[in-house]
Order: sequence, then structure tokens, then C-alpha cells
Amino acid sequence: MVTRVFDDLGGLGLYFEGRETVTTGFPSLDRLLPAGGVRRGSLIEWLAGDASPDDAGGAISLACAVACRLADPRQGDQSRASQAATIVVIDRGQRFYPPAVIPWLDALADATGKGGGRPHLVVARPARDDDELWTIDQALRCPGVAAVLAWPRRVHATAMRRWQLASRASGAVGLLVRGLSERRPVGEPTWSDAKVAISPVAGEPDADLAVRRLRLSLAGGPWSGSEMLEERSTELRLDLTSGREATGRHRMPARPAAPVAGGGLQAGRLPVEEVVCRAS
Amino acid sequence: MSRIMTIWLPRWPVQRRLIERPELRRRPVFVCRRERRGVMTVVAWAWAAPPRKTLPSAPAAGANPGRIPAGMSLAEAMAVLALSHGSRACHIAEVEHDDPVADLAMLEQLARYCRRFAPIVAIEKSPHHEPAGPECLYVDVTGTAGFFGGEGPLVRTVVWTLAARGIHARAAIADTPAAAWAAVHHTDTLQNDARQNDAHQGHAMGRGGRRRRWTIVPPGTQLQTLARLPATALRLDAAMLAQLRDVGIETIGGIARLPRKSLASRFAPQVSQRLAEFTGERPEPLLVPCSGELPTASQAFDFPLLLRDTSLDDLVAVIGRLLQECVAPLAAQGKGVMSLQVRLERTQSVDIRETCPPVIIDIGVFQPSGSAQHLVELVRLRIARMRMPREIGGITVEVVSAGTAECRQRTLFGEAAETSASQVGMLLDRLSGRLGRGAVFEPRPLADAQPEHAWAAVPPTASRSFRSKPRPTSGHRSMSEARSKRSHHDGPPAAYPIARSTALMAAPQRRPIWLLPQPVRLETLAVVDSALNNHADASSNPPARFRLAAQQGSHLHEVVKAHGPERIETAWWRGPTVRRDYYVVETATGARYWIFRRPGFRRLGSGPANRSGGEWFLHGTFA
Repeated sequence: MVTRVFDDLGGLGLYFEGRETVTTGFPSLDRLLPAGGVRRGSLIEWLAGDASPDDAGGAISLACAVACRLADPRQGDQSRASQAATIVVIDRGQRFYPPAVIPWLDALADATGKGGGRPHLVVARPARDDDELWTIDQALRCPGVAAVLAWPRRVHATAMRRWQLASRASGAVGLLVRGLSERRPVGEPTWSDAKVAISPVAGEPDADLAVRRLRLSLAGGPWSGSEMLEERSTELRLDLTSGREATGRHRMPARPAAPVAGGGLQAGRLPVEEVVCRAS
Repeated sequence: MSRIMTIWLPRWPVQRRLIERPELRRRPVFVCRRERRGVMTVVAWAWAAPPRKTLPSAPAAGANPGRIPAGMSLAEAMAVLALSHGSRACHIAEVEHDDPVADLAMLEQLARYCRRFAPIVAIEKSPHHEPAGPECLYVDVTGTAGFFGGEGPLVRTVVWTLAARGIHARAAIADTPAAAWAAVHHTDTLQNDARQNDAHQGHAMGRGGRRRRWTIVPPGTQLQTLARLPATALRLDAAMLAQLRDVGIETIGGIARLPRKSLASRFAPQVSQRLAEFTGERPEPLLVPCSGELPTASQAFDFPLLLRDTSLDDLVAVIGRLLQECVAPLAAQGKGVMSLQVRLERTQSVDIRETCPPVIIDIGVFQPSGSAQHLVELVRLRIARMRMPREIGGITVEVVSAGTAECRQRTLFGEAAETSASQVGMLLDRLSGRLGRGAVFEPRPLADAQPEHAWAAVPPTASRSFRSKPRPTSGHRSMSEARSKRSHHDGPPAAYPIARSTALMAAPQRRPIWLLPQPVRLETLAVVDSALNNHADASSNPPARFRLAAQQGSHLHEVVKAHGPERIETAWWRGPTVRRDYYVVETATGARYWIFRRPGFRRLGSGPANRSGGEWFLHGTFA
């Protein structure tokens, strides 16, 4: 059904027509996304969570970094959607820790200069599932919101369709972090512009604390017919210090590799660094 | 005969600050005024903690305000506090500057709120005791007590309603404002007298001897009932009290026994005037705050409106019309609604003894709103989640507070940014209307090393005002913060809130994006190799394998890399010391976790040795 509709519309060209595309700030991710970036007024699903139920494997960090870039006033043209500088985080489980993200916003404001302000970060903590769905819908419907970041527990097709219409009307981008169980075969209908599966890359002996290596693969989207894509994947290095993509120049010098015995940790040769903070 | 209820709000300047900043409830709070030559004098103070010691000069046990009376210098008050509560109390004490205008403004707001009990609510005219301002409200309950089931239920409802809003209040009902004022300030004395009378007459003590915060003086008996109260209850000034004390008169009864004709000639006219106001021979005008300033609209139905047969849209349509009537005059003045109250008046039950309080919907917005449609939407959100009565007899919409609406001249083409900002404000109103005002916030960083306290949830409007117009923060800084600034002068000043804080925060790569509300204890299953035992500081190494101790059969994490430790330790004056060694560990699956170890660790391993003080906890995930 969706395939037929898209064929009638002339494929991806008409579907994406009329909506501004902005870069995510991550060239690797831009190359992976079908539109070459993120369309204003669209939904992006981030599929993660196979490492542990308590961990999204870096998906939330990456989604936060993308949200910060979307709220950058220098992004895109001077249209109404590009003027929106508010990020809404819907935190149902009350786990979101803002100090990990606020430095990224400050760095963004520093890069913008005196003329631009710092994007606003608003956190909403609904107590119930229906409140969570309603909050996402309301935030996506607001023209002053640049991006909505959420990790909803229960999502049904009706809610996704409402969110799609709401985001398209306002220009806000919905970044939804979901479990890998939501991964569907390529070609199945979806209300989001893209589904990106994320998994952390482990086992690098000289891994730096400030850099997170993530493997991204495109796991779904509104393509159809001749545009049906095979699964594409790429690797991305997220700089946790600035919320941008790490490059080779900024790479920290590698520490001596710790020999691993039997797959475990040899704690005697740990790269130990001590920072003492005394609260006032 | 008229009946007046006096509501006393003890130490109102302190209470106002506790309402605005609930986090101060854990600290002693002093409201001070700067006198000449820079001497700070105490206007009011309060702290919920009981004293450790009883001073010899203390007038009565448990009477904290009596130990530090109003007018005492701050240095002297600190010395008294250190003697009674320990030196730590002085370190955490919060000193605030007196702001009588804000105190009066909030008292007026409370007076409007109390109009749910009776239509005429007045504020205490002139403060009796210096330097504190007015602390009492007068409510004319003549003929209205029956709606609440009598004067007893009414006075209890008042005290409990205010207590539910975090306000400590006492209330009394008498024939005159002066008598009610005297009674409400001496409820403990009256209660003790009543107990003694009951014991003398052999009556049983009721309610287990609990202290009550209210009293009722029967009509026409104020002189008999209140005769034993001290003369200060007549609101006389200090010079007059000293003059009466010189002639041996210390109670209201003593003054009343004097011949009236010679009273004016022997003492100042104030005594006879106050006594006449006390007995009701001379009327005492009530100072009602200008209630016509904020609009009110109401709709009464000829027949009760059955909500079973009424749709939500119809009900909201009526409220919308009333809201439009309230918003229009404010818009003409360039103002907008900040908070409003919608009262759904319930019809009186057949049983006259059954009280039918109105259903009250309080609506607040983050920025003044002149849009009736937006306010109606907020009311609709609240009504949709409320349990409504079966039938209502009328609807009243009252604007509780208003503010100056932001008006900007429109540009020829570019008004998009202003529209977006207002749309975000309306979004925040909607979200807070349904989720609660505390559930929608803007995080602001704080200069605190302890992760749980490294940020604060600030209402979006407050944070934006700080961003646009930074204020000096010294006025709200506690003494502990000021002291820490002196001792840790190498770092930036600790202040709340701070707009640009990157320098004060820890490196972001060391902070997880998910932080657990409570640290979860880990069960360490490390296999220690021989090389570890030779290490000088082997006890500080992170575990090689762990899993959550609370979940049986939980996933086993194998650590392949660790970064740390990062020692986080709080100062001794903040209460229980927090001392943790944090590590960022990466597991074989690539997941990163933020774990910490408590001190006292001796040996790495599982079992009872680990529980003695070297436990490991999971505090966050780099999700």
C-alpha cells in the first residue's frame, strides 16, 4: 500500500519536496540518511538496546547531539522552522542527566558568537504512558520547537501517524529512540523518514574516553519500488566533549594497551587517572 | 451580631520565602533588615529542627521565636542559634534581606485566595509589633459559617486548607476583629485554660491533649473568655504596656475592671480605644485590598446543571465566555493573566449539615497571557482529568494575579521569531497544566561536584529571565556558599543559577546521559589474577565482571576497559559525607557504565568482605 502511494507520488522526490534539509552535523550520518540529512518536520527512529536493557548503546547520546545541531540558529535558511531554538526532551523514566548535554549547548553558543543565543533545553517528565504520548504530540506540534527527543515505551501506529502529521505541520523533528525489537524488514511501512540501528563498537584497545565509536545501519524508511535500498551501514565517532563527530586530528594519543587475560580485565595495568573534586 | 475570623500567619516573611523556595525548609532562615551603620537585625526567623539544648534564658520550651526575638542583631542571633542547635546550624543558615513590599503582595494574594471562605477578606491594618509587617487576615464570616457546617468546621477547614498549601496558620472567631486577634495569638493559653477548667470540673480531656491551632470565642463572651490574656493582646505599644505594668495591670480583665470614665484621663487614649474595639463598642474598619483591580466573572444557573447531561464542550464554552469577560479589561490595560481560579459551585445538599465545597481549578501560566482561547484550553485539560461533581449551580472565574503582557511592535515581514517564542510559552503552559508545574522545567547547572546536585530544575520563565537579565546572586547565597567561596578561591564563584557554566562542570565525557535516581548495588564477580595482589593500590581497581545485585539472573557484564578513578567528596558541613571513586567502564558489548565504589574497601572480591564498606554501585549509563 505504502509502495503504491509513493509510486503515485513520484517516489522520494515528491515526498521530500518542500521541506528543508539540514545537516545533522555528522557527515557519516548525513551520507547514510536517504535525504542527505534531516528534513524539517520529520521523524527519525533510532533503534538500539541490544547490549543491555539499561543501556541504549550510545543512541541517546547521538540523538541528543543531532538535536543540538538542529537547534543551531545557523542551520538552514531564515525560515520559521530554522529559527526554532528549543529542544524538548520527554523523559518518562526520569533518567535523563542534563549535565552531559549542557556543555554541548554552551559550545554551540560559543561557536555562534554573541549574536546568537544558546538553544533552550526543556525537559518534560510525564508520569504515565498516555501522558508521554500526548506530550510528544504536543511538543511536535509546536512551531517554536526544533527537535523533540523521546524514548517512548509503547508506541502504536496511530500515535506515530499523529506525530508525523504534527511534525510536518510545525517543522519540528522528532527523534525517537526505540528498541531493536522494533526493527522491521526493509520495505515495511513506517511513519518515520529513516530508521537507524545503532550499536556500539567494542573491543578497541586504545579507545579514548572522549570518543564513542558507533556502528550505524539504515534499517527502514519511506523508500519504495526502485528506490528500495539494501541495508547500508557506516561507522561514526561521536566526540562526547563537544557533541560532534570526532576526526583524526582531534584524536587523543593512544594509551598503552592493557593486556587482557582470558577476556577479563587486568586491573593492575589500568590507565588510571585521578581527579579529585571537592564539593563546596 | 457580626462574627470575624482572624487568620494569623506566624513569621510571615519567613513563610513567604519557604513557599517560594521549598528547599529552604531544611535550613534555618533569617529575614534581616539592615539598620544604620550596617547592623543587621532579625525581622523573623524559623527552622523546623528542634533545639539540642535549652538555654537558661529561654522563656519557654519549644518557643523558638522567643529565643531570638525580632529586633535582635544577626550576630547575636547566630550566637544563640549555635548554643541551641550547634555550630553546624550557623553554617547552613540562610540569611535573606527583608522585602516588606513582596510580603504584602503575597499576603494580598492569599487574601484573595481566602475569599473562598467569605466574600470580605481584609488585611491587618497596622502592624502591632515592630519590625515585622502585617501577619493577619480578617475574614467577615457573619452568616457564612453555615455553608461550611458551622464555625467549628469552618475554622478547621481554613487551617487545613492553608496547611495543604504549605502555610502554617492559626485561626480564631470572635465578635470583633480585636477579640479575634487576641484569641488567635493566644490559642495555647486558651487551650490550657480550657483543660484546667475541664479537669477542675471532672470532665474528660478530649483528643488526647493535642495542640489545636484554632479557637472560637462564643458570641458576646469575649470579655469573660479572654479576660486572662495579657495586655499585649490588646495591640498596645510598649510604652503603654510599661505604664500599665507600673500600676499592676497585666491582663485584659484588669484593664476592663477600671472605670471607663477615668481610663481616658489616666492613660493615653489608645487604651480606651483598643478596649472599645475589643468589646465592640467602637467599630474597627477593615482594610480590604482593592478587589476590583482584578476582574471576576460568574454565571449562576436557574436550575442545577447536571453534568451527566452536559458535554465537556458546553461546560468549557461557558467558562470560555466568562474568561473572555475577565481577559478583555486586562488586555485594555496592557496586562495578561498570570493565574486564575475557576470555581464550580456545587448545589446545596438536601441535608443541610452536609457541606458542599466548590470544585476549584487553579490555573497558572509561565508568562502573562491575554489569549482567552489559550486559557480555555488549559482549563479544558484540567477538567478532562478531574472527577467532576454530579451537578453544579454556578461557575465563577476569578483572575488571581496579572502581569504586564509583552507587547512588541510588529515588523513588516519578520515576526516569525516572536511567534515561535510565544508558541513555546503556550506549549509549556499546556504541558505544565496536564503534567504538573514541577514536571516541566529547564535544567540549569550548579557548581556542585556531587552528581545528584550538579543541576537544578528551574521553571522555564525564571531561567529565561535570568538569561536575559543576569542578577547579582549574592543576595540568595547561603552562608555556607559564601564561606566556601572564601576557602576555595581558586575556582569560579558558586552561584545559583549560572548562565554559562562549562568551566564549572565536569568534563562531559565523564558524565553519563542517563543517571539512575538511586545508585544500584552491583555484585562483583571479578576473577583476580596474581598480578593484582602485588599492586600497591589494588583495592581501588574496578571489578572485572559485575551484575546488578537486586536482579536475580541479570545480565553479566564483562569489563574490558576502565577509566578512573574520579574522586568525588563532599564537605563535612553538608551533612553525611559523600565519598565516591567513580569509574567509566566499558564492557565487552561496547556499553559504557558509570560505577563507583564507597570507601572502606579492603579487598576486591565478592562476598561479605565486599559489603563491609567497599561496595560497588551502578550510577549511570552512557546510553
